[in-house]
Amino acid sequence: MLKHMIGAALALGVSAGAAWADWAPSGPIKLWIGFGAGGETDTLGRLIGKEMSDATGWTVVVENKPGGGGIAMFTQLATVPADGQTIGMGVSMPVLVNLTVRADQVPFTLDSFDYLASVASAQLAIVARKDAPFDDLAGLLDHAASSDGALVGFDAKPQELLLNVLNKDGGALRPVSMKSSAELVQNLLGGHLDAAFNAGTHIPYLDSGELKMIASANAGRHSYAPDTPTVREQGYDIYVDPVFYIAAPAGLGDDVQSVLSDALLAAMNADTVRDAIQNALHTEPSGDGPEATRAMMDDGMKNVATLFGK
Amino acid sequence: MPDLATILAGFGDAFTLLNLAYVLFGVVIGQFVGAVPGIGPVMAMAIAIPFTFALDPLVAISFLVGINKGGLFGGAIPSILINTPGTPDAAATALDGHPLAASGKPGKATRMALYASVTGDTFSDLVLIFLSAPIAILALRMGPVEVCALMLFAFSILAGLIGPSLLRGLVAAVLGVLCATVGLDPEHGTPRFYFGWFELYDGPSLVAVAIGMLAVAEILRRMAAVTRDSQPGAIRVQGDGDDRLSLAEYLSCRFVMLRGAVIGTILGAVPGLGSTAAAYMSYAATRQGDDGGVPFGKGNIKGIAATESANSAVVGANLIPLLGIGIPGSISAALLISAFKIHGIQPGPLLFENQARLIYGLFGAMLMANLTNLIVGQASLRLWVFAIRAPTSVIFPSALVFCIVGVYLSTGGMFGVALMFIAALVSLAMSACGFPVIVFIIAFFLGEGFERSLSQTLVILNGSSGALLGHPIALVLLAMAIGLAIWLGRGGRGQPG
Repeated sequence: MLKHMIGAALALGVSAGAAWADWAPSGPIKLWIGFGAGGETDTLGRLIGKEMSDATGWTVVVENKPGGGGIAMFTQLATVPADGQTIGMGVSMPVLVNLTVRADQVPFTLDSFDYLASVASAQLAIVARKDAPFDDLAGLLDHAASSDGALVGFDAKPQELLLNVLNKDGGALRPVSMKSSAELVQNLLGGHLDAAFNAGTHIPYLDSGELKMIASANAGRHSYAPDTPTVREQGYDIYVDPVFYIAAPAGLGDDVQSVLSDALLAAMNADTVRDAIQNALHTEPSGDGPEATRAMMDDGMKNVATLFGK
Repeated sequence: MPDLATILAGFGDAFTLLNLAYVLFGVVIGQFVGAVPGIGPVMAMAIAIPFTFALDPLVAISFLVGINKGGLFGGAIPSILINTPGTPDAAATALDGHPLAASGKPGKATRMALYASVTGDTFSDLVLIFLSAPIAILALRMGPVEVCALMLFAFSILAGLIGPSLLRGLVAAVLGVLCATVGLDPEHGTPRFYFGWFELYDGPSLVAVAIGMLAVAEILRRMAAVTRDSQPGAIRVQGDGDDRLSLAEYLSCRFVMLRGAVIGTILGAVPGLGSTAAAYMSYAATRQGDDGGVPFGKGNIKGIAATESANSAVVGANLIPLLGIGIPGSISAALLISAFKIHGIQPGPLLFENQARLIYGLFGAMLMANLTNLIVGQASLRLWVFAIRAPTSVIFPSALVFCIVGVYLSTGGMFGVALMFIAALVSLAMSACGFPVIVFIIAFFLGEGFERSLSQTLVILNGSSGALLGHPIALVLLAMAIGLAIWLGRGGRGQPG
């Protein structure tokens, strides 16, 4: 017994010594996920948490804080102490949209956080069934004009706004709200929609020849479909770029911010997580650190303001 | 259909000792988290996924399948033994399960649940294995208009559960739908009734509300009763030997279980309704055929057979759209997809073509998990039935702690716990005033999906009711909904919770 106690005391002494050299967490790090269990954010967050814990020896506790596309989580994150023990992972778009549309009701701003890392950006496409009588946005709009409008499925507010921009010259696209990429693909295949937005579920159907891609809704083209032009290239100055990112409450201090940021970037570039990002999102880990992530959010604010016509 | 060698190789991959060990481990975890109110198999699967990364894909998926299947039956255990469902799916099982257990036959009640659960599950697994491709193609015909009609059909089961007062039943149903409208509206994303709480943006958590109204309300009621009349245990356990389930009793439920399994399989193949609705639908149908034996609601084993066969059948069938066309039919199917994905296996239309051996391995694992569920269930039942011999002053406070922990974990904090307690108080007030809580809960569960499919339907029909004529399946479902409501309403003014 005594031996154990001495051992424990020694272990404590050693870890206290290590703390002088560099910042290290004084207890478990909580990684909050702004969505419920089972989504892409959840899976990626849990993988990053596990990898970070394996690599650093820290205990990382992953907790789901769903609500409002991450707003509930970030609201809470802004109020906890900035000691590096609590960090949160969310998606840029819902945060930027809420800060643009109802800034007076959102209890935080972009300055409420210190940004740690961007994980990856989701690739958003507009797709249609292979047998649809159009191959690009102009064709889709013509098809809509010549029939009783065209039904276009979407699953997030910015996509609906993008459709409004496409409709600005009297277009007849009728937006249909759905819950997920999977539901959108299902309704496309079943012939219940003419076209739909999609963030990845569609890719295997491009390979099998059941769907075709009409446009990339991101700022750039997609790696798996380099020949399909973006919405911008097709003449509408608009795009939607959802980025998964990790932040902490503002006031971390430079040393804490860089230790955490380095650990997160190392974790997401580990082979297992890199593979998972590639498999789940069909894209590379972004590798952006604190400054680039903050810049991404600032640029995003401007783009979303355009999207909402503000 | 792949060649026989691939099929046999797939099954061969599944039936290994390592796989069996992981399925067993999964089933044990699943039965435990299912029995603990609030956590549930979905939460457990989400937590387990990163840890399966180091495993072989088939082993990882077998483990997750084990958790899922174990969890389904696990939810029925507290539902039957202490009238507090461990998962929302098991709520209907309490209707007859608890009265039977309380009359001194907890072993009979829980065994019926176990056998019915495994029977329903195996039925839908076999449908999945042999018929997933054609059924998935049929399910594709179900667009938003048809799903909206199916939702109305599901609502019509409420007529059979509404209880003695039509007016109170309708009030409960309307309140349930009203609560389901809290949060962002499905069409334009405008927040409604959220009072500045961002936690309510996605609507009140189903888990928190269901556990609060069904489990916590019952626990509080029982804890209040204990202070007046202290009993030695939650239920009496007789020693007269009629606590087993005979083969004749099991066989007497065969048609009930078959109907439950068919209802569960159909609802599982069409995403959106879920196993809770399937259980109540099967129960409502079974109660119509009262055979003059033990009245329903007083401990009729057919009531248990109906609900457990239906809610378990949903799970296998949820994989039909996944394997047939590559689309997940439920959250747990979506979790399986993410497990596929992180192992580099792309779900989608080519899944069967590219990964036939793995899919047949998955089928093997599912059947193995059913058998394991049956065997582990036998053992764990004895343990649970023994555990509830503890004094009520121990059982109900511990159950309350589990509810709090489970809801805290799955809703992400104290907000969900507060919501759970509010829901419990609302539930107590409702039952004190004679409003049927079950009707409220089902209306609340179906409300969100109904609103979404209604808004989609309105866009698709473009304001013209004549356009409905282009949707014959929807018209048939609507006619069936009206017919069912009348049939159930006439016979079913019964005695539900």
